[in-house]
Amino acid sequence: MSRALYPLASLEQVEKSPSREDGLPPDLEEDLRAYGCKLIHHAGILLKQKQVAVATAQILFHRFWFVTSLKQFGIGDIGMGALYLASKLEECPLRMRDLINVYDLLLRRASHSNSTGDFKYTPMSYFGNTFYDLKDALVVAEMQILKRLGFDVHVVLPYGTLINYMRLLDLTGREDAVSRAWGYLNDALQTPVYVLYPVPTIVSAAILLATRHLQIPLPSTPPNCWWELFDAEWEDVWAVCGYIMRLYRERSKEDQARVAGMLTKKDVRRWLEEHGHKEGKH
Amino acid sequence: MQTLTKGAGEGTYATVYKGRSRTTNEIVALKEIHLDAEEGTPSTAIREISLMKELKHVNIVRLYDVIHTETKLVLIFEYCEQDLKRYMDAHGDRCALDPMTVRSFMYQLLKGIAFCHDNRVLHRDLKPQNLLINKKGELKVGDFGLARAFGVPVNTFSNEVVTLWYRAPDVLLGSRTYSTSIDIWSCGCIFAEMISGVPLFRGRDNQDQLLHIMRIVGTPEDRVLRKIATESPEIQLKQYPRYPKIPFSQVLPKASPQALDLLEKLLQFDPSKRLTAAEALSHPYFTGTVNMAYMPSAGAMPPPPYNYPNPHAHQQQQFSQQQQQQQQQQQQQQVQQAAYAQQQANLYAMQQVQAQAQAQAQAAQAQGQVPPPYYQQQNFHR
Repeated sequence: MSRALYPLASLEQVEKSPSREDGLPPDLEEDLRAYGCKLIHHAGILLKQKQVAVATAQILFHRFWFVTSLKQFGIGDIGMGALYLASKLEECPLRMRDLINVYDLLLRRASHSNSTGDFKYTPMSYFGNTFYDLKDALVVAEMQILKRLGFDVHVVLPYGTLINYMRLLDLTGREDAVSRAWGYLNDALQTPVYVLYPVPTIVSAAILLATRHLQIPLPSTPPNCWWELFDAEWEDVWAVCGYIMRLYRERSKEDQARVAGMLTKKDVRRWLEEHGHKEGKH
Repeated sequence: MQTLTKGAGEGTYATVYKGRSRTTNEIVALKEIHLDAEEGTPSTAIREISLMKELKHVNIVRLYDVIHTETKLVLIFEYCEQDLKRYMDAHGDRCALDPMTVRSFMYQLLKGIAFCHDNRVLHRDLKPQNLLINKKGELKVGDFGLARAFGVPVNTFSNEVVTLWYRAPDVLLGSRTYSTSIDIWSCGCIFAEMISGVPLFRGRDNQDQLLHIMRIVGTPEDRVLRKIATESPEIQLKQYPRYPKIPFSQVLPKASPQALDLLEKLLQFDPSKRLTAAEALSHPYFTGTVNMAYMPSAGAMPPPPYNYPNPHAHQQQQFSQQQQQQQQQQQQQQVQQAAYAQQQANLYAMQQVQAQAQAQAQAAQAQGQVPPPYYQQQNFHR
């Protein structure tokens, strides 16, 4: 079959994302995307949603930011829309009201994290404006994701491939290695790697990280390199490892507070006005 | 875009209009889907667009474009005159189609489905209403509202798929890990329906549908049921009445032996035993010899291998009785009649060869052998 199973970002899209064009620094964009994915993950757990839907939502979420700027849509709304859409695609649809309640809780808790005192959530009123505003935002977000991705919503998840590779490498007996690699694949969903590299490369990176941390030797000297079995290039595998390991670095309190205060497009616009030193276009 | 008529068809979630493109003058079908504030974009529309925009094949309805506005989605499709259900009502003999049309439609249906499966798309809702027929007699698979892409790992899918009468027994048993074989079952049901004019299995509900199937194909042995259940662990087995198998030749007395053989191989209770669409396309029913002289659509087939007699021969005979200058004409006539007789003899011989070939093929199939190679000389290509 000639056509690719899933779309990957073009070099041009990778070099200048729409948000960067709007003057948002790359590291801030990276943090906001990762935070948006964490929200999707939390929401998925609270809603007891299947992991296939959560992972699909996170990949669609990352794809979206290669065609749209964070100045136009907030990570809260798009994350909610992505999870709603992915749940339809994976045939485990969510009730709008459940999703909205959960996102309302998560967004309010996030914005509370910058103020002092205990967080106390008061549920929204059943027919209140908050509900209808969020519902409108959800419908718009879903439609915008579909429209801007040109209905290209087919996603290939890495889990089946991981199982195959672990079998081939005879590592299925090492439960610690399997669950570690599985965890790296899930954490990698917070990074844009699923839009940048093919699945075999990402799975190879997860296996590399897992086996190195557990000091499991695998043939790694040319011409016998295990990742070549899976058609992965060393440079790409290494780059994916870099993306994943960056997630675990120490973050300052300021960085964390900065992200939690930028969940909507309004917040992003305000930040850009305040820090608008190198805004070329607007 | 100019709208011609409303209500070329009312689907479950959309209104269909007939329209004409102002730029190309081409007639198209417009499917208008209202966006619902309660559920956002309908998942049927999402599936239909995301899958169909990649599927470009003569036997699949072409999706030309999508117009996306605040309140609605308009899908622009290739226009087809009618669906197979209506075609059968209008052209069939008590809805039953003639063997040549059945063969042509079945071939086109399997071609379209083979293309879907090659591109990792399950249709999941094949039925006569979703197969469209255009003026040229081309069959096109449409309505991908329940379709989905299938990946390499085994996924669990929704169990609420396929209109009951065309639903495969493994799905009726509760399978969620079904694959391409569910479309093949539906193809088999449609095949039988084209031959007889009535749906093959007409159940009222899930359980009743399963019993309808078992009453014809027979209740599978416990061993077979257990095997199906191991392959799809979500299946819950119950006790079923023991029905013997009824040969399809009794159910469909009009069908040719080759058609029955193909049907048998499509309607296998065990999903792993069903032919694939590609395998079905190379079944002798399609590749074998059929009397080409009776093929309906001119142009699609090579001309018959003999010359028709002079249509004026009969007239000339009458003239010859009245007129006096006979000799010349009689001679001419004799020549013509001789030629005619010769042609008749040739035709007769050809039919005999074919009858022989069919008999041999049947014998071979009965013994489970591969048909002799010359049997596949005349390929049926569209």
